[in-house]
Amino acid sequence: MYNPIYITGLGMISAIGNNVEESFLSLKNLKTGIGKINHLTTKYKDEFLAGEVKLSNSELADLVGDKNPELNRNSCLAMIAAKEAVINSGIDTKDGLRTGVISSTTVAGMGRTELYYKELFEKDDHLGVLDTHDCGDSTERIADYIGNVDYVTTISTACSSAANAIMLGCRMIKHGQLDRVIVGGVDALSKFTFNGFNTLMILDREWCKPFDENRKGLNLGEGGAFIVIESEKALNQRKGKALAEIVGYSNANDAYHQTASSPEGYGATLAIKQALQMSGLNPENIDYINMHGTGTPNNDLSEGTATKTIFGNQIPKFSSTKAYTGHTLAAAASIETVISVLSLQNKLIFPNLNFSTPIADLNMVPETTLIETPLTTILSNSFGFGGNCSSLIFKKVS
Amino acid sequence: MNVTAYINGASCISPQNTTEDNWFFNDIKLPEGDYYNAIEPSYKDHIAPNLLRRMGRAIKMGVTSANLAIKQANIDSVEGIITGTGLGCFEDSERFLLAILNNDEQFLTPTSFIQSTHNTVGSQIALIMKCYDYNFTYVHRGFSFESTIQDALMHFAEGKNTLLIGGIEEHTPNFVELNRRAKKFKLFDPSLPYWSSNTKGIQMSEGAAFFVLSKDKNEKSLASISGIQTIYKPKNSDELLAKLNTFLKHHNLNLSDIDVTLMGFSSDVNFDKTLSSILPIIESHSCAAYFKHLCGEYHTASAFATWIATKLITKQTLPDILKISSKSPEKIKNILIINQYLGVNYSFILLNQC
Repeated sequence: MYNPIYITGLGMISAIGNNVEESFLSLKNLKTGIGKINHLTTKYKDEFLAGEVKLSNSELADLVGDKNPELNRNSCLAMIAAKEAVINSGIDTKDGLRTGVISSTTVAGMGRTELYYKELFEKDDHLGVLDTHDCGDSTERIADYIGNVDYVTTISTACSSAANAIMLGCRMIKHGQLDRVIVGGVDALSKFTFNGFNTLMILDREWCKPFDENRKGLNLGEGGAFIVIESEKALNQRKGKALAEIVGYSNANDAYHQTASSPEGYGATLAIKQALQMSGLNPENIDYINMHGTGTPNNDLSEGTATKTIFGNQIPKFSSTKAYTGHTLAAAASIETVISVLSLQNKLIFPNLNFSTPIADLNMVPETTLIETPLTTILSNSFGFGGNCSSLIFKKVS
Repeated sequence: MNVTAYINGASCISPQNTTEDNWFFNDIKLPEGDYYNAIEPSYKDHIAPNLLRRMGRAIKMGVTSANLAIKQANIDSVEGIITGTGLGCFEDSERFLLAILNNDEQFLTPTSFIQSTHNTVGSQIALIMKCYDYNFTYVHRGFSFESTIQDALMHFAEGKNTLLIGGIEEHTPNFVELNRRAKKFKLFDPSLPYWSSNTKGIQMSEGAAFFVLSKDKNEKSLASISGIQTIYKPKNSDELLAKLNTFLKHHNLNLSDIDVTLMGFSSDVNFDKTLSSILPIIESHSCAAYFKHLCGEYHTASAFATWIATKLITKQTLPDILKISSKSPEKIKNILIINQYLGVNYSFILLNQC
């Protein structure tokens, strides 16, 4: 029996806006959120650009309305986006249905830990960071913030994390374990991740140029994005409204290298192929691809090659929206899910900013202007360290 | 969802000599201080020297434990690798963090950053096994290992046949020191009853346990896992008991069908409160047992308990060192693990003789 999974609520905070409405305006007006670093403490703040959320830690805590001194930036971003998704969906977690929170993060509380780590050995003032450093912290805070949550878990599979959280949520509903789930991911910028990506020499010092021959790397971003997904039964019971349907998902492993993708994009090809199989769609039925497209030489070539393997000469319209938000790591897939739903709802393809020259080996040209076109199906890719490759397929609700 | 997973290979690295082939609660090692260290096996028998040199301890423990489980199951491929870890590769994270802080963000090398990601163990196993299939890492406190079981059972219902699951945790001297400063620990005192402590504090620990699971029973099958449930912040012991009864009923069992109940007492008066409240009911129907005095407390201690449960089922004996009361089970057909982590994350894992 077909058991549809509906997206019924969206929430997002990132460099392009503190909520979905602001994000949509930035996307439509081709306004990137990537710029000079203001909030992150790093000696490189004048040398690199980043996609920062435009609020300080205390402004974020005010927005959450939680005075807990141990509340870190990561958890704030998670709570703000998850709450927006819940309000947007109109669900009431006290209605007796089983609600889950499945979140994902890579950096977790590191952004706060790194500020105090050395003094922890001498002073007692910030020993509380030991309790908020781990990945579970933001998830349990979301659960407590929303209330009446029956199930929580957290995933960390590098830059594909949120896609896997969304996938797990769908499976939990299909197996009758939950009626609805708040799924997504979060990552705040930290000195730790910034320096990590810098030592890998995959940061562009200027605006990133996904799928461009002269791309030099990625811009890091930060943010949180969550969606509410529900079973048909749960949706009908409360007479809610579906925004889109999730019709395909897949997780595969490239098993090539800890941090690099295979040149032929083997894992990516597998993920896209299996997601298509599950959706029952043929490649030619995909109207638009929201690419992982980080802007690193390795990712874009590998992803482009995988795309060619699947779609041959009939590559759908595609773009990477990372030149708007920066690469938000664990949040990337859920931010791009929100963007994909906005595309379906508004019949708009948001362009691949900063592109000028196609990659010679691929000769693939992304959309570079805002396109108004009816869209029924969107494929969204997310790949990460450790060879993690995940693809999701969204469909307009009829 | 009523699915059974058969355990065809099980391995465990812990503060006990659990990687010794015939270990069965002999040569028990209890800590003299306020934390436990895992007894690490010789890694060079399991990991190529060029890989071993760069790996942090969590990765070494995870990859070795996975390898042992796979050897025992006598297979060379799986259809997915699912790992659980509360803190991930903490040693590498700390090394990179200290390098940033000590050198003012300069002269950094990427190795420890690369290995600091939580999914490193799962992806290293995939690389070594050339496994292109499903690869997932759960990082939710005391639900990290539980989530791997939940995921595996769903995959068997979806049609997969063989999976590798495991839990990994490591600590570092600095992390132990900081938690000690935060007054989270107390000295282990073997003269006091572990499950009815009246003082605060735990003994932090570490370890890795991996399991090869299959959808169908085969000649290697040691035991089976037929149920898993996590309970986030139950309000009180009544809620936990009600959830337990529903869970057992769903599996067509009563508490009296449970031959042994392995309970996750951690020797902290506050964290153990709810388990203490339900202990009399458990004891009246089943043989109540405990295990954290042997493995210490960590996010994935339930993986150690699952390994212990597999041993008890294959040996059909409940050793005295695990018993809370003097009762002995006539047979060991069903084992229930009731774990708790910091009094927040509770879980039920149901294992059966197969």
